[in-house]
Formats: sequence, C-alpha cells, structure tokens
Amino acid sequence: MTAAAAPVVRLAGVTKSYRVGETRVQALRGVSIDVNAGELVALTGPSGSGKSTLLNLCGLIDAPDSGERSLGDAKINGRTEAELTRMRREKVGFVFQGFNLVPVMTVFDNVEYPLLLLGTPAADRRGRVMAILSRVGLAGFEKRLPDALSGGQRQRVAIARALVKSPALVIADEPTGNLDSATAAQIVDLLRELAHEHRAAVVVATHDERMTSRCDRVLRLIDGEMQ
Amino acid sequence: MKWLLFACKNVLRNRRRSLMALTITAVGTAAALIGGGFAQFTYDALREVSARETGHVVLAARNFFDGDEDLPMQNGLVGAPALAERLRALPGVRAVLPRVQFSGLISNGDKSSVFVGSGVVPEIDFRVRGMQTGFVAGEPFAAGADVPEIAIGKELAKIMKAKVGSSLTLLATTTEGNLNAVDAVVRGIISVGVPDIDKRLVLADVAAVQKLLLTDKVSTLSVYLRETADTDAFSARLGAELPQLDRRTWLDLAVFYNSVRALYDRIFGMLGVIMLVIVLFAMSNTLSMAVAERTREIGTLRAIGTQPGEIVRNFLLEGVAIGGAGALTGMAIAGAVTVLLLLAGIQMPPPPGRSNGYPLLINFSVWLYVSTGLAVVGVSVLAAYLASAKAARKPITEALAHV
Repeated sequence: MTAAAAPVVRLAGVTKSYRVGETRVQALRGVSIDVNAGELVALTGPSGSGKSTLLNLCGLIDAPDSGERSLGDAKINGRTEAELTRMRREKVGFVFQGFNLVPVMTVFDNVEYPLLLLGTPAADRRGRVMAILSRVGLAGFEKRLPDALSGGQRQRVAIARALVKSPALVIADEPTGNLDSATAAQIVDLLRELAHEHRAAVVVATHDERMTSRCDRVLRLIDGEMQ
Repeated sequence: MKWLLFACKNVLRNRRRSLMALTITAVGTAAALIGGGFAQFTYDALREVSARETGHVVLAARNFFDGDEDLPMQNGLVGAPALAERLRALPGVRAVLPRVQFSGLISNGDKSSVFVGSGVVPEIDFRVRGMQTGFVAGEPFAAGADVPEIAIGKELAKIMKAKVGSSLTLLATTTEGNLNAVDAVVRGIISVGVPDIDKRLVLADVAAVQKLLLTDKVSTLSVYLRETADTDAFSARLGAELPQLDRRTWLDLAVFYNSVRALYDRIFGMLGVIMLVIVLFAMSNTLSMAVAERTREIGTLRAIGTQPGEIVRNFLLEGVAIGGAGALTGMAIAGAVTVLLLLAGIQMPPPPGRSNGYPLLINFSVWLYVSTGLAVVGVSVLAAYLASAKAARKPITEALAHV
C-alpha cells in the first residue's frame, strides 16, 4: 500500500532490554517504524535479532524502556494495563506460530470469542463469524474442535479469529512456521488478501522467504537495530 | 450463559481430576449435611422433651428461682387456681398446670430413702408431658383417691422393694417446720430415662401434697403453649401483665438441652470448618493445576483483549461448576441417607447419664442445605480466585512463552 495513508502503528526511537541472569541484554536499540492501513510488512532477521520483541511492542503486550508508540491517533505511553487491554480488544488481532486456539472451544466459539469480548449482539456475531469462516475456506467446520483440524486449517481459524473484529492492526508471529510449504503459501496469500480487504495493517515476523516475497515491505532487524 | 458453558467445557478437560475434586466436595457436603441434620434432629427432639417437662413458660413467686427457702413453700405461689384460670383464657395456651416441689423420706416400714417429689394434676400432667410411655409398670394414678396414689421411679421402686399396689409412707417437713406423714399406694412405676432421677422420683396428686405440707400454695404454674416458637413472645407478654411474678422459659431451665446444644454446635461446627478446608484444598489443587496447564492459553486470551478480571471470572465459573456439582451430589447423598435412616430404624445408645437410647434420624432442613451449598460454592470460588488471580496478571509475554 501507499505510505501516504496515516500510519496505523508508529514506533519512534524505541529501546528495550531484558535482564538475563546477571546480564542485561539490549533487544532493541532505537527502532522506528510506521505501518499503514492495508499494508503487509514482513519483519525478518536472525534469531535473537529482536523481531518478537518488536512485535510485542507493536501489539501492546509489552512496554519499551524508552521511545514513543502510537496506535492510530492514540499515544500509547502512560496508558494503564486496562486501557492497553481495551485497545488490543478493539484494534489488534494476533496470529501465533502455534495457532493458540482454545482446545475446548469449537471453531465457531474460537472465532466468536473476540466479538464476545466486544459485546457484539448475538445475531451480528453469528453473521460475522460465518462470513469470515467462509472467507478463510472453513464453511461447514464451525462445530469442529481444533484437535479435529489440520495445521493449515487451525491457522485459518486463528486468522479468522484475528480478523473477525476488523482490527486496525494484525500481529503475526511466524504464522507459517509450523506448516508445510504448500499450506504456508496458501496462508500467506490468505493473510495478504484479508489484510487488503479489511484495510488492516499486518506486521509479520518471519524467516520464510516465500512469505517475505509476498509482503508489501520487508524490514530487517539485526542485533536490535533496523537495517 | 456462554461463559458458564465454556467453564463447564474447561472443567471436562481433565475429567479424572475434576471428578476427584467433585467427589471430595460431594463427600464433604454430605458429611456436613448429615452431621448438621443429626444435630438439628437432636435439638428438635430435646427441645420438645424439655418444653414438655417444664412447660413453655414457668411462673412462680418472687425469689422462687434464685432464692433459698428456710421452710418448704416459703417462696410458694399464692392464689394459683385463679391465676391459672386467667392464664388459660389467653390465646395460644394449651394447658396451665400447678406443681408443688417437695422432698423428704419414703419408707416401706423396713427401709427409708430420700425422695424428691412433685405434686401434679395427674389426669392432665401425664398427658401433656407425654409420660404415659414412661410407665414401666402400672398406670397413671388418679386424683382424689381416699388413700393418696403415687408413681415412683423405677430405681426407687427397687430400693423400696415396691410393686404396683404396694403401700409406702411419705414423710416431709410442713410449711410450719413440723414433720408430717401420709400413707400412699403405688399406682405406677415410672422411668424418665435418667437413673439418678429414677432413684429419687415420686409423683403425687398436687392436693395430696398440699395436704402433706399443710399449704394451699403451689411452687410453680407451668404454662404449655400450642407452639414452642411462641414462647418468647408469650413470656414477654406475661412479664408485662404480671410484673409481680418471676418467670422462666423452658430454655432457661433446659440445662441438658443447652449443654448438648453447646457441645454439638462445637463438634459439628468444627466438622463444617474441616469440611470447608478440605474442599478449599481439593479445589485449590485442581484449579491450580488447571491454571498452570493453561498459562499459555491465558496469555493468548489476554493478548486478544481479555481483562485479567475476565480471566479470573472464567476460573471462578469453573469453581462454581465443580463446587456446585459437588454440592448438589452431596445433597443427594445426604437426602438418600436421611431417607434410609428413616426406614432403617437404627437406635443410638443412651447418652451419658441416661438409660434410654434414641432413634438415629437426620432432619431435612432447607436452610441447612442452602447454607451448606452456598458455603461449598463460596469456598470453591475462593479457591478459584486464589489459583487464578496471580496467573491472570502475569506479563503476557511470559505467559505466551510458558511451556
């Protein structure tokens, strides 16, 4: 997508360090990024380069040591945990490498969950869940449990769960990491299509070359610095 | 409703573990209900026995209950017949019975023994107090016989070598301080279930006792009400209408009832506390393991916008599901045991100091069932809170990295 649109997520001069035993590890060193609506951005780099840390900061599930963050027009710094949770509930979807579906919930229930949190009326919930399941190719699977699905199908459910509330931002951490090549390609295409359809900014951490080639933009992190 | 459904599904994730917690909860609930129901049956039975024995409200002259008497009937009640008539006219009164307490020596001509007696109106007193069933020989005596008739305790009859029809002499101090004696015929031999009392007990017609003591006073007037529950209100009314008299309720005079109640309250109260602690530990164990196993899932749900309080709420609902199911199962067990005991007719051995056993029965009390159920569910909810509160506030990145 074009960079002319207002960024959905913006990080400016963000640093983050962790204490590992007696040592302090600098995970991010003054990183700045903008991601716009409808843009699929790949975040690459070797293990330990800070990809996951940057994703966590973008997704509001971790806090930086310094630097500025904003989600749309809203500044993030100084927000309480409850406010951040509300922002994630309304504006951020997550896709995890291990799918992270709730095993006792059916496909329908897993996808419906974010709408339940938002207090969406039951009739509206059903329509939206069925529509997104149909879009990810899982119409007819709504009563199944995650254990009865293949890896690719589970990741489709996870994508449906992330996008059912039409979030401004989707965070995907190695979404193809547990999938075979063919399935991974399908998932990447699906994620790309849905990002464009829903005008969602998507940030994907990946090692997968097939994935980066399909993204709108590729950012490379090495030793906590943007290259 | 949807959240409760999710909670039930989560409970069924590890069925064996949940079943164990449910079983412990059910057994604890059943134990508390059976123990509590037995205590309530005992209280109810003893309350009726105590109230029957003394009357619901006992009226006497000033100083009768707390003062000492230098001579018999010194603190006796004057004008009892008129007062009794007035009391009988009050609503809710079933009977008003005069009683004269006296003591002295009883003799068969060869041997004497101390007795503690009570002058009663036999035709009414035995019926109201339900003493017909206490006669081990003979029958309730009649008032107004030419030769006074008496009933004596079973043990006293042995001591006096007396049978029904035997003639005995009662010797007592009169109200003037002199000795007086009267011959009486044994019409009945009675047991009140307490050997020490059976060894001393003499019941006689109140008029005959007044004649023996040379008085027209009575010791007390026992007022029997239709409903035991009306006792306090009736006693208060008498206090306002007859301020010149002393009065005691059956509860004031029920030493055995109060002792048993104090003992049982502690025993079964402690049992209840132990039960709740066991339920707390069982539920804490089950839910702590569930929380630990689902840390990553908690992180996921937190990431997609679930507030910590909502995570905790979900676990509280799981606590409600297990605790509620355990409580209901425990209630069903206790109910079944209650019915079985009713049909089985099992007898408990006599309590200390008593010679008669009593049936082993359990009261069914809606209040007890509801309060026990709520306590069990409450403890389960507490356990769920303790197990989940910390995990729900764990940093999301840590929770997601949990293996």
